[in-house]
Amino acid sequence: MTMNRRDFMKVSTAASGSLVLAVSLPGCSTIKTGFEEKTGQWSPDIWLELTTNDEIFFTLARVEMGQGTYTGLTTLVAEELDVDPARIKVKFAPVAPEYRNPLFGLQLTGGSTSVASSWKPLREAGASARQMLVMAAARVWKVDAADCTTQDGRVVHPNGIDSLRYGQLVELADKEVIRGDVALKPRSEWKYIGRKGGRLDTEAKVTGKAGYGIDVELPGMVYAVMTRCPRYGGKATGFNRSDVMAWPGVLDAFITERGVAVVADRYWRARKAQEALNVEWDFAEAIDLDNDQVFEGYREAANEDAGAQERSDGDFDDAVENASRVVEAEYEQPYLDHAAMEPMNATAWYRDGAMEVWAPTQAPDLARIAAARHSSLSPSNVTVHSTFLGGGFGRRLTQDYVEEVAIVAYKVKKPVKLIWSREEDVRHGFWRPAMLHRMKASFKDSELTGWDHQIVGPQILDWYVRNAAPAQYPWAPQFLYSTLGRVGLMAEGVATPKDISAIEGAIGYPYQVENVSVRHTHTDPGVPITWWRSVGYSHNGFAVETFMDELAHEAGEDPLLFRRKLLANEPRHRAVLDRAAERAGWGTPLAEGRARGIALFKSFGTYVAQVVEASIENGEIKVHKVTCSVDCGQVVNPRVVEDQISGGILFGLSAALFGEISFKNGEVQQSNFHDSRVLRTHEVPEVLVDIVDSDIEPTGVGEPGVPPVIPALGNALFALTGKRQRKLPLTAG
Amino acid sequence: MALSLTVNGQHYSLDVELDTPLLWVLRDELNLKGTKFGCGAGLCGACTVHVNGQPTRSCSTPVEYLDGAEITTIEGLSENGELHPLQKAWVAEGVPQCGYCQSGQIMTAAHLLANTPSPSRDEIVTAMSGNLCRCGTYSRIVAAVESVVDGVGHYEPEQGGA
Repeated sequence: MTMNRRDFMKVSTAASGSLVLAVSLPGCSTIKTGFEEKTGQWSPDIWLELTTNDEIFFTLARVEMGQGTYTGLTTLVAEELDVDPARIKVKFAPVAPEYRNPLFGLQLTGGSTSVASSWKPLREAGASARQMLVMAAARVWKVDAADCTTQDGRVVHPNGIDSLRYGQLVELADKEVIRGDVALKPRSEWKYIGRKGGRLDTEAKVTGKAGYGIDVELPGMVYAVMTRCPRYGGKATGFNRSDVMAWPGVLDAFITERGVAVVADRYWRARKAQEALNVEWDFAEAIDLDNDQVFEGYREAANEDAGAQERSDGDFDDAVENASRVVEAEYEQPYLDHAAMEPMNATAWYRDGAMEVWAPTQAPDLARIAAARHSSLSPSNVTVHSTFLGGGFGRRLTQDYVEEVAIVAYKVKKPVKLIWSREEDVRHGFWRPAMLHRMKASFKDSELTGWDHQIVGPQILDWYVRNAAPAQYPWAPQFLYSTLGRVGLMAEGVATPKDISAIEGAIGYPYQVENVSVRHTHTDPGVPITWWRSVGYSHNGFAVETFMDELAHEAGEDPLLFRRKLLANEPRHRAVLDRAAERAGWGTPLAEGRARGIALFKSFGTYVAQVVEASIENGEIKVHKVTCSVDCGQVVNPRVVEDQISGGILFGLSAALFGEISFKNGEVQQSNFHDSRVLRTHEVPEVLVDIVDSDIEPTGVGEPGVPPVIPALGNALFALTGKRQRKLPLTAG
Repeated sequence: MALSLTVNGQHYSLDVELDTPLLWVLRDELNLKGTKFGCGAGLCGACTVHVNGQPTRSCSTPVEYLDGAEITTIEGLSENGELHPLQKAWVAEGVPQCGYCQSGQIMTAAHLLANTPSPSRDEIVTAMSGNLCRCGTYSRIVAAVESVVDGVGHYEPEQGGA
C-alpha cells in the first residue's frame, strides 16, 4: 500500500483544547491517534502540543544521554514552527510504536541516527502545525493565508501590524485541513538550524536539577542491590539468608535469575547487608576463560573457517597469484567497557497488576520486554518512564539492569530502586566485543592490487535478540533463544535486520583497489557483549587504517599521499583528509621527539579524518594535538557537532591508551576507575574540529569521532618509534 | 544516633547510622539529588561537595566525622536565586553533555576560585584533574573556569582546547 504524506498526518483535538499533531514515521504498522478503546491503550502519537496559554510541548523520542538530541531535535521542530527553541518544553516520549526509530524498527537511541531519522519528519511536523495556525488566522482576518507570515509564535497579518498568538489560534487551527504538501523553509531562511545555539538542558545540568534515572524518588521507596555471579552465566543456588536478614533495615533477600537481591529501607543498609552475603553458585553454565584463550579461540576459528564473504570485488586470490609482494598483519583488540558516569540503575513499582519502570535507557520498548520477562505480566502491562541518562555509549541498549529491578519490584510490591556499584558496573557489563583481524594485501610493483580483511569474532545482535526471547517464551531452552527472540520481536512488529555490527566500516572500504575481499568468521566465546560508541567501526577502523599505514610504509610512500591517490572517486573522503592534513600542517617539521599519524574513516554516514601529534615522555604516551575534519552533511548545531566529535576523540583515546576488560578463569580483572582508566583533564590534548559546510542531508555525529583517532595515534607512534603496534591498548615500550 | 549537620545554610538533626557516607544522607535523607554517585571510592569526583569549605568526596566520607559540619552542595552554590558565576560560565560555554559529572566539576572549580582567585591554566587543570568526565567536556570546563577568572567572553573552539 502506498500512502501519500497527507495520509501520514492525523490531526485531532485533545481534551484540553490543545492542538495535537501527529506525523507518522515510515515503517510503523499502524497509525492511530488518541485513545484506543479496544485495548484500553492510549497511543500518544504526538510530537507537538500547543496550548491556549501559548505553551508548546515537544515530545522527544530519542533519549538525551549527552549527545544533544534534547536540543537538536527541538531545534528542527522549532525552526519550522517558527518559534525560539528555548520556548519549547521538552517531554520524554512514552513507549509507543509511533516513536520507534524507523531505521531500527525499535524505539531506541543509538547508531548516531537521531538527527538523520528526524530531519524530515520533525521539520514537517513543525511546518504543518505552523501552516494550520496560519490558515486559521487567515480565516479570522478573511485574508489569503499565503499573504500571512509568522514571527516567533505569532501569525502576522498581511498589513504587517496585526497579529495573533499561536495560543489564540489553536482551537481554530485544529479544524484546518492541509491539502497537498507543506513547503519546508529554504536553507536561506533558517533562524535556528545551523546556529551555535545553547543547549536547552544546560541550566538544569549546572544546578543539579536535571533528573537522571538514579534521582527518581517515589513515596515509600525501598532500595535493592544485587550480588551477581563473579563468572557470567553462573546461578545462585543458596545463601545465608538469616544472617543477611538480621542486618538493620533489611526487608527481604532472595535468589533471582540474575543473582541474590537484598532489599532494605536505605541504600547504605542494603550495601552493608550485602557484604555479609555468602552465596553458593552453580558454575555449570558459567564462563571460565582467560583473555589469551579468547584470542586463541579466534585464531583457531579463523584457521578453520574462512568466514562469510561480506564483500568481494574482483578476485583477491588472483591478485595474490600475480603479486610482486604480499603483506600480512594480524590485529588484536580487547573487550571494552562503557564506563558511563551514572552507574546502571532503575526504579520500578508493581501494583494493581501493572508495572511502572523509571529508567535511564536507550531502548524503552526493550525495557518493557525486559521488565515483563520474569513475571506474569506482558510487555503491554509495563509503562516505562524515560529520564536523562548519565551517559549511554551503547551500554544502556542492553536492559539487564531493568530486568533486575523488575524482578525485585514484582516480588516486594513496593517502589524499589536498584543501584549498581561502580565495581558491579565494571565487572558485570556487556562489552564491546574483543576482535581479531587478519589483513592481507597484494602489490604489483608499487600498485596496491588486492585487499583481504578477515574479521574474527561475535556479532552483537545474537545477544540482543536472545535477550528479547524469554519474555514471550519463558519455557524455551537457551539454545533456542536466538531464533525465538527473532520470532518474539516479529510478534511485536519488529523485524530484526541483518547484523552488521562485526563488519560495519570494513565492508565500506573506500580505497580504489581492484580486488577487495571482506570476510567475517563468526565465533562467540560466550562473553556478554553489546554496542559501544561506534562498535564495529571502532575495531574495523583500527585494523583498516593501521594496515593502510603499514602498506604506505611498505610502498615507501607518505601515508597521506598513499591514501589520497586511492580516493580519486571519493570526493568527500578526500576533502576531509586534505583539510585535516592541511590544518595539522602535515609534512611540516615538528618539535624534537614528536610525530604525527593520520587516519580516515567514514562511519554512520559521516566522513572523519584526523591527524594525531604524539610523543613518548617519561615512558608514557603523550598526545599533544588532534586535528579533525568532519563532513556530516547539513549541521543542525555546530556547537553540538564540535562537542560530539571532540568527545568521541577523547572516548577513542581512552580506549587506545587504557581500554581493556580482561578475564581470568571467567572473572573480570578490573573493578573501578583506578584500574579501568579513562582520560583525565591533564591528559587531554588540544583538539581542533573543522566542520565541512554542506547542505547534503545530515548524518550522525555522536560516534564518528571515535574510530579514526585510535589508528591515527598508533600510526603516530609508529612514525615516532618505528615499532608497529597491532594490539590494543597501545604501549609506550 | 542523632547527627547535626548544616547543609546549604539549613540546620538538620538526623538519625542515621554513622558509617553512612555523606552522599547518601544528602541524596536520600535530604533529597538533594544534585550530588551524584559515580564510583563510591573517591576516584571520579562526581560526588564532590564542600565540607567546612573543603572539597570533599561525599561518597567515601562517613557522616560520623561530620557532626556539626557545614556542607555546601550544588543546590546551595547559587545565592538569592542567582546562578553562581561558575554556573553562568558553564551555561555560556555550553559545558555539559550528559551532565552527570558537572555538579562535582563545578564544586571543585568553586573551591579553586574561592582560594585561588586568579589561577593559571596549569593550576586549573591540576585542580580539575580529579574529576572525571566520560563525555569529554574537559576543554570547555577549563575554558569556563578561565572565563570567570578573566571575566571575559566565550569559548572559541577554533583556538584549541586544554
